[in-house]
Formats: sequence, structure tokens, C-alpha cells
Amino acid sequence: MSDMKLARILNRPLSRRQFLRYSAATGIGVSIGAGTMNAWAQGTQGGTLTWLGHQEVAGLGPNDIGPDVQSSVIFNVLNPLVHVNYASETEPILARSYEVAPDGLSYTFVLHEGVMFHDGSELTAEDVKYTFETYSEPGNTVASRFNGMREVEVVDRYTARVHMDTVNAAFLRLACEVPIVPMAYHEEVGVDGFRTAPIGTGAFRVDTWRPAEFTELVAFPDHFRGAPLIDRLRLEVVPEPSVRYIALLTGDAQATVWPLSIEDSIELSDNPDFRVIATNWNSPRFIPLNNDVPQLSDRRVRQAMLSAIDRQRILDELESGFGVVASSHLAPHNPFFNPDVPQYPFDPERARSLLEGAGWVEGSDGIRSNDGLRLSFTCTTISGDQTRRPMAELSQIFLRAVGVDMQLAEAPVASILQGLREGTLEASLFNWTHGALVDPSPAGTLRSDGGDNFTRYNNPEMDRLIDEGLTIVDPELRRPIYNRTQEIYAEDVPALMLHYNQGINVFSNEMTGLPDNVLVGTPVFYRGNEYGRG
Amino acid sequence: MRSPDVSTYLTFRILKGLFVVVLISVLTFIVMRMMPGDPVYLLLGEGQIPITDAQIQSIREKWGLDRPLPEQYFVWALNLLRGDFGESLIRAGVPVRDMIFEAIPVTALLNAYALGLAIVIAIPFGIAAAVRRNSWVDYSSNAISALGIATPNFWLALMLIVLFALYVPRWFGELPLIGRIPPFGLRSWQGWILPVIVIATEEMAVLMRITRGAVLELLPQDFVRTARSKGLAERAVLYRHIVANTMLPVITVIGFRIAFLLSGTIIVETVFALPGIGRLFVDSVLRLDYQVVQSLVVVFAVLVVVVNLLTDFLYALVDPRIRIS
Repeated sequence: MSDMKLARILNRPLSRRQFLRYSAATGIGVSIGAGTMNAWAQGTQGGTLTWLGHQEVAGLGPNDIGPDVQSSVIFNVLNPLVHVNYASETEPILARSYEVAPDGLSYTFVLHEGVMFHDGSELTAEDVKYTFETYSEPGNTVASRFNGMREVEVVDRYTARVHMDTVNAAFLRLACEVPIVPMAYHEEVGVDGFRTAPIGTGAFRVDTWRPAEFTELVAFPDHFRGAPLIDRLRLEVVPEPSVRYIALLTGDAQATVWPLSIEDSIELSDNPDFRVIATNWNSPRFIPLNNDVPQLSDRRVRQAMLSAIDRQRILDELESGFGVVASSHLAPHNPFFNPDVPQYPFDPERARSLLEGAGWVEGSDGIRSNDGLRLSFTCTTISGDQTRRPMAELSQIFLRAVGVDMQLAEAPVASILQGLREGTLEASLFNWTHGALVDPSPAGTLRSDGGDNFTRYNNPEMDRLIDEGLTIVDPELRRPIYNRTQEIYAEDVPALMLHYNQGINVFSNEMTGLPDNVLVGTPVFYRGNEYGRG
Repeated sequence: MRSPDVSTYLTFRILKGLFVVVLISVLTFIVMRMMPGDPVYLLLGEGQIPITDAQIQSIREKWGLDRPLPEQYFVWALNLLRGDFGESLIRAGVPVRDMIFEAIPVTALLNAYALGLAIVIAIPFGIAAAVRRNSWVDYSSNAISALGIATPNFWLALMLIVLFALYVPRWFGELPLIGRIPPFGLRSWQGWILPVIVIATEEMAVLMRITRGAVLELLPQDFVRTARSKGLAERAVLYRHIVANTMLPVITVIGFRIAFLLSGTIIVETVFALPGIGRLFVDSVLRLDYQVVQSLVVVFAVLVVVVNLLTDFLYALVDPRIRIS
């Protein structure tokens, strides 16, 4: 959808909901606000861009690329071989080209020549080999990305070939996203030393790193894609969302990596000085149900519960309509998304008949029971989670109406993750990825032995499909497999998927050079070299 | 005060203090380990990538989290005695000592400025309110302290940010002498203004009431009447006899504030994005960064013990009636 078309849509009277639905139907990210219609002129040379994050930048090494706030800094200092960009495409960065062997057992990367690290040394295939072999060692948080890798061969100064023991279809997008470090310097400082004082090939080098306060980067003029337009890039840690909002209004910052409140974002979307980009999250808000708990083990009960909750209303009331009701374990914008799966529209009558069919009879207190077992369980939400706790409360009301008693409790996030992994919790409510945009495999969450199988879900067909999916490299050959995993998921309902909410990034017009159609929000921040200060 | 008594008393107090610190270190260690959750899972973040148990185990080994608990405690405690606070689990590679000693000055200065401001305003106001009881000074001081105590920190902080960082520059441009007040951070000295005002407001309210109460109690005392009857000017009675005696509650409040350094400014530090000790503490607890939490608690246990000791000595200095026994 071109900006002109968007402009025409925006000029017509159109409710926000209609607009969001239209945008979601086109499968692209949403750009709202009059700022979109402006031509994004290239900025002038120089100046500082300030971005806002909500939590500290705890480290700057390859092991720290997980959290969005950290990756927004790290990928401006260090570069990977390839990256999944804001349009969800695999984009070569340090690799000039790459080739995947037809059997999926080797990957060949040809590097750009003359790429310099900040210390003046040149990037070679030795650095690639060193990075992959060092960070695939157990003990590194990114080690799992390299699953199936045997070794890296240095073919020549600028060519590296990765040899695999087993096919890992996710390898290109996961392992090759790990940024490349300079071997000589890294050997000197080690993994932990590097994350406090990194040297990379990025468009910026680290000037000041104060984890809880700010990280300031300065332009690296010899960057291989050309010198950045700005002199400095600064990420400020501002935990309070309303202060981030004010800082954008006062001009103290030009963008926010971590979203503002929905209300503040909507307000800024009406302000011509800002551009608001809303993109669907890859991880749904969902209620994982412990499938081992007797009252939750029958899938008819879980199907009934999903039918009993008015998920569109939760989305409208608590997310101001920013999002899409979930129907699959993959997000609607995922290239592998399958829309043809069983649906669960809000239908309390269907919920009641499913429960009755499964033998759950309403008692005098309105709660159903079956052979003396009450249809009651506890949903433990994250302590102080003001955003998602109300979703649990609304769900509780909907479930109560069909005779299901969902009690609410709170606990710290670490306690919830451990409780679910060990099967000691009955249910919770948070966001978690079940197959990412970078790779659709839900191996960690839906395989019976997955480390994040929070629902204790066990379906041999799902296990088999997950294993098979990871051994096929061709995306089109993989598609039928993930179509089926989504069907099975919708039939079994191991968890109550509520909705895919939207992440909203706000940019001031002072930040120039932003791309037009953004599908994934965070990678926009990996391109600090392209932005100017207008 | 006789010197042999003082040295015996000091030894006793120091030994008692040491015992308290060791006890607190053990308790903190146990409480942190009893907290449900595993920091390794938090390190790994949201699971886009499947993690095997072997990989989790190797991360645990790297941080020594697989060793028996008593061994973990003694390794940490012995290192601490040598001045080695260890490394943060979350900010791997960064010594905990650096983290703590970078954060302490922020919180300490914040409290010092706020307390200074509160003292400068609250004590004269509190005295005036007591001396001119039931006058407009008294009523307004009462109203101000009631408001100060009742206004939530975070609300006041946000309102001040909106007003001074956003609207005042729009309406009036830059303020004379002060210039521009930023909405967050300590990039310039102006960054201190709003957080100091927020903390000072609460302290001022408490101090004002304490001072007023103390002066009201002193006014009918015999020594005040004697001072007046011997012909001293009202001003001399006030400064020489009354004000000097109000110092006791002030010292109490200051001692009290230091004990609450760790928790007292968390909200202000969070709203204004200040890298102080309160935020470090809360973030570390939430992320189960054991080393940081344990070291912070021990540092503060030592601080509180020392401050308590100093407060007792100051009491004796200010009020000769207090005897060390």
C-alpha cells in the first residue's frame, strides 16, 4: 500500500478499528499519523539522534542480542552476516552473497572485501569461523542458535563455509544473525570483556556505556556501507512510559524503541510532528493451561473455554482495538500463517454444550463439576503487570458465565516461568513466541520435550511434524508441515490464545530516512547509519 | 563520658554490628535462593529458540549456580571480605562493586540535596508556625505539610515534569538563571531540580511537623520561662534556647533517612530515570541478580550500623543529658 493510498484512506472518515482491520488485511505494518504523508527528506549531516528504551542495556556482546532495547544498540555497533529486516526479508549484511547447499548441510558465505572493524583490522572469514565456534560453545545464551553445526571452514580470506551435522532449517535466520566479532581483540578480552567494550564493523562505535542510564555511540566514518548521516546515536533508559512520551514531545528524544502506552501512542498519531508505526507482535497474549491438570486435560473443556471468552472485546476494551484475535500459534503476518483452521468465535452457548458433552454439570454455586472434580483452576499473572492482569480479570468473568471458575493470583515472572516449566502452575497469562518470524518452528514451545512447553502439551503427531519441519530447507516444502501444526493446535487448544497485540513505535519527524512499509518494528532501529536529524 | 567506658562501649557496639551484618548476609542469601524462579531462564529471554537442558546446565555451571548452597555462600562471603563483590549475573563482566559505587553517589546526592532543601525551608517554617500558633503561618504550614505527606511521589513527579519540562518552556521560554529543565536524566545540573523537589517535599512536610511539635513542647518549659524572665530578648530565647533544642528530632530524621536510602527513592529514580541505588536494587531483585542484591544489602547493613552508631554519638554531643551507658 503506497503512502498516497494511505493518505486517501486517512482523508476519508474511517474509524480507527476499520483502518486497523484494513491494514491488517493487507498484511503490512500500519503507518498512521499525518507524518506519514510527508516526504521523508534525507537529513543533514551531523547531530545526535536519541532513542528511548525502558530497561537497562546490560551488555553489548553477541550474547546480549535478545532484548529489543539491547539489540537496537548492538546492531549499530556489530554486524551479522545476514539479518531479517523490517520487511521480514533475509538481508545480507556482512555477507556479499550466501548459498545454502540443496541438502541443507552446508552454508557458504562470501564476505564483502575491505570491511573494517573499529580498531582498523579487516574482517575476514577467520573472524566468522572464530565467532561461530566461540558463541556456539555451551554456556553462551546464543549457543542454541547454532544447533546442528559441526564446524566452519575458511575457504579463502573472504569465504566461509559452515558444515552441519544435521539440517537445521532455522540456521540461516538464527545463527547468522549472531554478530561477527574481531578474532584478535576478542581472544584478548574474552566473552565477558567483549560485552563491556565491544569492537565491531558497525556504523557506530561505543563512546559511553552506562547500563542503567544511557549508551552513547559515535559515528564510525570508515563503515563499509558509508559513513552515517549523524554524529552520535544515544539510547536513553527511561523506564516510565509517560516520561518517554513527554520526552518525545519536548524534543529530548526522537524515537522510542519500547512502546508507549496505547493512549499516548494514539494521541501522537494525531500529531503531525510524529510518525507512529504499529506492527503486529509475533508473540500472542495467551493463557497457557497445564494440560496435565485433570480438569484441564480434556480438549473439549479447553475448546469450550476459548469459545466462552469474547476475545474481540478484550482487544477493544483493553488494547483500544490495536491487534488481531489469535487463531493460530503463528502470528497473522508470519509467512507461514494458515488462516484455514478451526475458529472459536465468541459463543457461550457452544461453550456450555461442549462442557455438558464432556460431562461437566453445573452445580448449585454455578461452577461445573465432573465426578466430584470442580472445574476450577488458578491463573497466576506477573506481579504488577498492569497491562495483562485486566485481561485475566475479563477472561475470568467470561469463563464464570459458563461455569468455569478461574481464580487469579500473582507471582514474579521468574517464578511463573519455573512453575510452568516444572508443571506446578495451572495457568498464567503473558506473551510468548510459538514459532518466530525468523523461523516458524515451534520446537521450544509445542514439542513435548520443548524447554518452553508451558502447557505440558504432548501430541506425537505434533512432535513428528516439528522434527520433520526442521530437516527441510525449502520454505515451500515446509509450508504443508506448518499448515498442519496450526490445524492441530487449533483442534487441541493447549492454551487459550487471546490476541496478537500491536507494538507501536513512535518517531519524531526530526528523525529522517525511515522506511515506508514496516512489517517488523525493532529492525528499524538496526539501521542507524541510514537516518538523519532533520 | 569517661574514655575506658567509651572504648568498651565501642567494642561492644562494633561486635554487635558485625554480628548483625553477618546475620543479614546469611538471611539475604537464603531469601534470595528461596525466591521462586531461576535467573538462567531470565537470562535466556523469550524463547524464540529452543533451549536444551544441557545448555541451561552449562550456563548454571559457568556462574557456579550448580554448586551446593553453603559453598556458594562461603565463596561469596570470603570474596566479599577481600573486597571482591563478584560479577553481576545480568551485566556479566561488570564488577558488582563498580555497579554499587556508581549508583551510591546518585542516590546519596539526591537525598543530601533534598534533605538540605527540606531543612532550609522546614525548620524556620516549623518554628514560625509554633511561635505564631493559630496564625496564617501556622495554618499554611499545616496545610503544606498535610499536602506534602498526602501527595504521592510518582504523581507529583509526573506533574512537575509535565509542567516544567513541557509547558513552562512553551509558555514562557527558558527560565531565567535556570534555563531548560529536562524531563529525565542527569545530563545537566538542571536534571537534579525536579527529583530533589519531589523528595524534599515529603521530607519537608515531615520535618516541618516535627519541628513545630518540638518547639510547641519547648515553649512552656521552665528553662524558656527562665530565659525570658531574666530579660533575654525574644529572638535570643528563640535562637539560643529553643532552636538548639530542636536539633535532636532533626538528627533522628536524618539518621532515619539514611536507613531508608535503599528503598526511599526508588519511585523518584524510576520516574526520572536516575541510575541510583534504589533502581539498581529493585531491578536486581526482579532479575534475581544474586550477587548484586546480596552485596547491596551487606553494604547497606554496614551503613545502617555505622550511621546508628554515629547518631547515638551525635545525640550525646547535642544533648549532654544523654549519657552512654
